[in-house]
Amino acid sequence: MADTKRNLERLRPLLDRLTAAVSAGDATEFERVLDDLVHGRRKDLFAELRRLTARVRQALEAFQLNARFSELAEKDVPDARQRLVHVMKLTDDAAHRTMDLIERATPLVTTLASKAADPTAPTVVAASTQLRSHLSDVYLAQGYQDLTGQIVRGVIKLVDEVEATLASLMRIAGEATERCMNTVPDAVNGYGPIVPGVDHGTALGNQQDVDALLSDLGL
Amino acid sequence: MSSPIKYLVVDDFSTMRRIVKNLLQELGYQNVQEADDGKTAWPMLQSGGFDFVITDWNMPLMPGLDLLKAIRADEKLKGLPVLMVTAEAKREQIVEAVQAGVSGYVVKPFTAEILKQKLDKILQARAAATG
Repeated sequence: MADTKRNLERLRPLLDRLTAAVSAGDATEFERVLDDLVHGRRKDLFAELRRLTARVRQALEAFQLNARFSELAEKDVPDARQRLVHVMKLTDDAAHRTMDLIERATPLVTTLASKAADPTAPTVVAASTQLRSHLSDVYLAQGYQDLTGQIVRGVIKLVDEVEATLASLMRIAGEATERCMNTVPDAVNGYGPIVPGVDHGTALGNQQDVDALLSDLGL
Repeated sequence: MSSPIKYLVVDDFSTMRRIVKNLLQELGYQNVQEADDGKTAWPMLQSGGFDFVITDWNMPLMPGLDLLKAIRADEKLKGLPVLMVTAEAKREQIVEAVQAGVSGYVVKPFTAEILKQKLDKILQARAAATG
């Protein structure tokens, strides 16, 4: 509202000149003042556009400059997926190991029962039946790996989506700012040993690769 | 029983395949083969010889429901008993499976007794149908 008032005040002398030109029948003056008026409007528009562009660029720069953000997109999110895949492998191994042991333990029930002082004693029979049943239940309970695995797989899918979204946001920000950001958040602290699946991109596989790179670099 | 029943257990989790296979063996069914997806199961079924399919629903390449539909749409295989053993427990899913022609539906986690009951029921119906 205040801006509009100010604009009107600014325009008043031009309008006065315009009216005067009409009264005097001065067509040249009329055209000149009209041009000034239009020019002024256009200048305002461009100024506003410039301000807007600057703000968009600032926002995008802030977005890209945020080290935490690029770390999320490039490292943490892919790592999260790798960790989840690893959890699935650990639970799979543990479940199979448990089933291996039960398969080995079950025949031992018969062996032990047969060596009892009286293998037909009700206590011996009942105990071995119960033990077999418990072992069988433990075997069946390993199905947890399937159920938890399906849930984890759902989370992995979500992580994939987050990663794709982050990557496209980063790409948009990168193109708009025309700035090549080389953020290496852990370069100073070090990354630690190579972890299969977690380390990617710049990590070299072995000393030969390292030496080859050194040689390329003239060392 | 004229010849031993040949089972195909389809599940993307090796733990679950092993559990089902073990339960079948405890019940006296020794002829059990495994597939890790509907997609790998399909050519196995096509090459013939299976009498019974026990399948998971949620698998990455070809879900159990699609496998079931493919079986029911196949001239050679359409009469094959298909038992769904799955964590999918929504009402509409079970309805869908039944409409697609599932022979039985077991929700994970399940007990040995439930699996046995379902198998017996399907096998009895099959025996009655074939005379």
